[in-house]
Amino acid sequence: MANPLARMRIAVAVSFLIAVVLFRASHAPAVAAEEWMVTDNPPGHGGGRIVVGLRSEPKTLNPVLATDATSRDVIRCLTADLIHINRETLKTEPALAKSWEASRDGRQYTLHIRQGLRFSDGHPLDADDVVFTFQLYLDEKNHSPQRDLLVIGDKPIEVQKIDNHTVRFGLAQPYAAAERLFDGLPILPRHLLEDSYRKGNFGQAWNLSVSPSQFAGLGPFRLKEYIPGQRVLLERNPYYWKKDRDGNQLPYLSEVVFLFVPNEDAQVVRFESGDTDVLSRLSAENFSVLEKDQAAKGFHLYDLGPGLEYNFLFFNLNDLSEKARPEIAKKQAWFRDARFRQAISAAIDRESIVRLVYQGRATPLWGSVTPGNKLWMDSALPHPAQSLERARQLLQTGGFSFKSDGSLVDPQGSKVAFSILTSSSNPQRTKIATLIQDDLSQLGMDVHVVSLDFRAMVDRLLNTYDYEAAVMGLVSGDADPTPEMNVWLSSGETHVWHPRQEKPATPWEAEIDRLMQEQMITLDMSKRKRLYDQVQEIAAKNLPIICLASPNILVGARDRIGNFQAAILDPYALWNIEQLYIR
Amino acid sequence: MKLLSRRLLHAVLLLLAISFLSFALLQLAPGDYFDEMRLNPQISAQTIEGIRAQYGLDRSLPVRYAFWLFSVLQGKLGFSLSSGMPVGPLLWVRARNTLLLTSTATFLAWALALPIGIWNATKKGKWTDRVTSLATSTLLTIPELLIFLCLLLVAARTGWFPSGGMISPGADGLNALGKAKDLACHLLLPAAGLAMVMMPALIRHIRAAMIEALESPFICAARGHGIPRVRILFRYALPVAANPLISLAGLSVATLLSASLLVEMILSWPGLGALMVEAILARDVYVVIGVVMLSSMFLIAGNLFADLLLFASDPRIRVE
Amino acid sequence: MKRWHKLGAGVVFLAAFHCLILFAGFFAPYSYTSRDRRLPFAPPTRLHFFDESGKFHARPFVYDIKDDPAHFGAYLTDTGRRFPIRVFVFGAPYRVAGPFSARVHLFGVDDPGRIFLMGTDAFGRDQFSRFLYGGQISLLAGLIAAFLAISLGMLVGGIAGFYGGWIDNALMRSGELFLALPWLYLLFAVRAALPLQIDSTQVFLLLVAVMGLIGWARPARLIRGVVLSAKERNFVVAARGFGASDSYLLLRHILPQAGSVVLTQLVLLIPQYILAEVTLTFLGLGVGEPMPSWGTLLASLQQYFILSSYWWMFLPALILMPLFLAYYSAADALQERLKSVSL
Repeated sequence: MANPLARMRIAVAVSFLIAVVLFRASHAPAVAAEEWMVTDNPPGHGGGRIVVGLRSEPKTLNPVLATDATSRDVIRCLTADLIHINRETLKTEPALAKSWEASRDGRQYTLHIRQGLRFSDGHPLDADDVVFTFQLYLDEKNHSPQRDLLVIGDKPIEVQKIDNHTVRFGLAQPYAAAERLFDGLPILPRHLLEDSYRKGNFGQAWNLSVSPSQFAGLGPFRLKEYIPGQRVLLERNPYYWKKDRDGNQLPYLSEVVFLFVPNEDAQVVRFESGDTDVLSRLSAENFSVLEKDQAAKGFHLYDLGPGLEYNFLFFNLNDLSEKARPEIAKKQAWFRDARFRQAISAAIDRESIVRLVYQGRATPLWGSVTPGNKLWMDSALPHPAQSLERARQLLQTGGFSFKSDGSLVDPQGSKVAFSILTSSSNPQRTKIATLIQDDLSQLGMDVHVVSLDFRAMVDRLLNTYDYEAAVMGLVSGDADPTPEMNVWLSSGETHVWHPRQEKPATPWEAEIDRLMQEQMITLDMSKRKRLYDQVQEIAAKNLPIICLASPNILVGARDRIGNFQAAILDPYALWNIEQLYIR
Repeated sequence: MKLLSRRLLHAVLLLLAISFLSFALLQLAPGDYFDEMRLNPQISAQTIEGIRAQYGLDRSLPVRYAFWLFSVLQGKLGFSLSSGMPVGPLLWVRARNTLLLTSTATFLAWALALPIGIWNATKKGKWTDRVTSLATSTLLTIPELLIFLCLLLVAARTGWFPSGGMISPGADGLNALGKAKDLACHLLLPAAGLAMVMMPALIRHIRAAMIEALESPFICAARGHGIPRVRILFRYALPVAANPLISLAGLSVATLLSASLLVEMILSWPGLGALMVEAILARDVYVVIGVVMLSSMFLIAGNLFADLLLFASDPRIRVE
Repeated sequence: MKRWHKLGAGVVFLAAFHCLILFAGFFAPYSYTSRDRRLPFAPPTRLHFFDESGKFHARPFVYDIKDDPAHFGAYLTDTGRRFPIRVFVFGAPYRVAGPFSARVHLFGVDDPGRIFLMGTDAFGRDQFSRFLYGGQISLLAGLIAAFLAISLGMLVGGIAGFYGGWIDNALMRSGELFLALPWLYLLFAVRAALPLQIDSTQVFLLLVAVMGLIGWARPARLIRGVVLSAKERNFVVAARGFGASDSYLLLRHILPQAGSVVLTQLVLLIPQYILAEVTLTFLGLGVGEPMPSWGTLLASLQQYFILSSYWWMFLPALILMPLFLAYYSAADALQERLKSVSL
């Protein structure tokens, strides 16, 4: 190879190759390390802003201390969790954790965190942040409500860092819904919060007067400004870790404004006039009013069918001997008779409730699991229509009799009369109670409705047990039955008709205890479903709570918002806020 | 001066008494702020007890009162459970909003009622007087609730006015003039409604006071001397009529903070009255007491202001 | 007697209105609980004199209404059958003065026709009947509260004005105290603390009574002013010189002079307390279902969908206006008349 030109060409080619290799080697870690999540929504384009109405002001921006729904709504836009429950499919999907493995016995979960992610202030995310976060949740001094979720089998969950991007969680017993635990537990930045935690004033950290530079999260937006009494302003997080199929980084919106609008009627008015862009969970009556103007004013309303809320009537089955309430104790002889409760359930006209209270936008219920929860509803449960005949028969077998003027008397001859307690701040439940009062008057019962403000009602239900019957509603936090444990366990604090029992008061409550405990640790989905079906059947036969109706989820949004897709689990309208864009 | 210092001392004692009685009163209602969490199946009772102890709600009444007094001296006025921040800053913002609304409405009401009342007093018995009397009587009989509801309906249906709140969502991007215009837009409806509520009674009182003054003997004598009517009206009759009017003005000032409860609720104006109702329903005791103290201060200050003004303007009282 | 006839129109109207309310059972075609679940939010029934073929009927009649299948909540008139209005019909029983009950109503239509003069509410209950029955509660509430406020005001104002000095000072200062305290909170507390067995109407009247008892401060101030000037009058001084006791002076000589003020105040306070009852109901402290009161009828207007879609729910508020007008004009006339009687 004496040709100098050829030698030069080879030298250039080799050096070029070396340069390329070196170039790629130096950049390879950056390209491979950013493991973003790819979403499959229709792609949108950037820019624009939406305004959302909030029913009250958030109380804190600290996920560890937040107890109210509004704070959590805002926090959700600012933070992200390890494993997320997709609100549409109701199944878990990877979020900050790109994958995970469960051990064979279901007691260990190893989560792999995505590489190359950054908080909204640019600081990188690693396993130390995860370990620190769970330390915050589990610290008893913080009194975090989330701690109760992480105590399984009476022992708190154990968190162990395996390496910079892997964390292992250990449970004291197998837990079927373990994956779902992580949803709603945002990961917090160690570099911003560790200081205040060590100093002991974590209780003041990230309250509403926090400056935006001291706040960082992994959510689609970051805090821009908070004006007390007016609004919260969020701006796009330039470090967000999701992108769409075309490679565009999410979120599309550049700003989100949360406006404080104190009550629902004001929210409707402002939505109609264009001040707000999204209306979440409006009542059926307002839906009908807005429906007429839909096309003209550039918005659309969506009726998503039944959600997870169940409204019910229940009786005071507490053991009142220490509390010395002889009046109520006397009536409990009626309440404790299952036939009495079944008669009442037979006499209630659920169709009227659906029609008159919810304008037809609700579903009648005979059990606490609504048709909206397709995975867990027991479709074999009977749905008997209203039948006064059957009610009268049931009462007569229970020893009750009808006097000549139609009024009902018990076996001892005293007239059947009781009160139904409702909350004055909820007009729907008061209407339901009024309808029930009317229905039961046809059975000869003298029922009157007592409407107290919410906290006074809760005080009577859970502290003093000074009530006879009440109409209430609960919203399941998740499709999975495990979050409802405290309602069904006899020792539970929200076992509303007879909370905090030391041992089960009735055989059927003992049976429900057993079934619920078992489904909690069974890992096989079909076995769990069968167990929970049995719980629903026992509840339908003994009727500790007489379920009435579940209102449909009703939301509204302006037409110019693209990718709007509401769901039946909270947050109904904004669960996919990172995918929304302005057309 | 002695009078002033004595009244101030009375005022301070009164405020202390009000604060203590309110504190005691607030313990009567069953339930407390954290009861809402008890219905959540996912939170345990120990956590709720822990949070409650954190805020000192498990201590006895005198201890809590002492802590609250100490916090007042620090300017913080206790802690709001609903908002997670000290009560003081919360109150100032809301009080400022309410004062903006009520002072605008009061100013409007007086600015319209004075000329109308005086004019009607001079034209007593004529048809203009009769028509105005009828109009004010009618306005007086409309429940203020109805007025505000109608205004809300008009705003929502026509879209000419904003239907609630104090500022528009995008207002922070505007310059100072833009912000002022936006605020004025939102202020218009609530202030107009409130002024409509205040005006009829004012007109009647002003008219009655002026008539009484105009019918007194010395005015007759002045007329007899040939003094021009306008001069009589403003130099002679008005100062005499001012006595009851000043008491009325004092009452207006005294109720500056409490008059707007309904309008705040219906037109969602973020003011003190709405805060108090929310706080009562949420059992946020320190906020309730804070609002009560602030309103009482205004009440007492208004009365004091009226008394002082009366002292300064009416020589008959000075002689006593 | 002649000088009283000028009270004329206002008082006659008041008397007629109160009579209507007192005999609500007779004048109302339905009871306050009877509901037709088929017809929530039905508009006021139209009275017809001419039927479809143009024939005139001396006795007005109504048509039946049915659900409009096309729109949820709208109604269509069914011109198939005429229901003439009958007078003195037998309908739902109602109480008249205690244990006596009667069944005759002034007017009504045969089943299944319905006559809703003011439309229906969310449960299909006749608003006109509920307005009349509700008036019983609301007017009673206003009367009780006004009466209590005046009585207590007379007592306190009389003592303060008569004795003067530190008693006067103390009483007036405590009056300011009363005005300042958070009574709304007290009302909530009272409501929540009462046992369940008490009838909700009684609870409501209790709350109203509390309101009246609280409201003594303003009347007391006015009466104190009158007493202050009255006690210096010659005949009072003379009576004292004759050895009359304090209570005798107060009761026989001084307070009667405050009579005009008292009466006027009473008449002015009644509408104020009726409105206060409405506000209480707005805040959630109203009378319980199914008992109607003007407050509960108006409280439904808080909800936007009712405000904007169902105009007949405004009618109770509109009817209140002439009532209050009558009260105010009666108060004005009383003031004019009685001014000449007193000093």
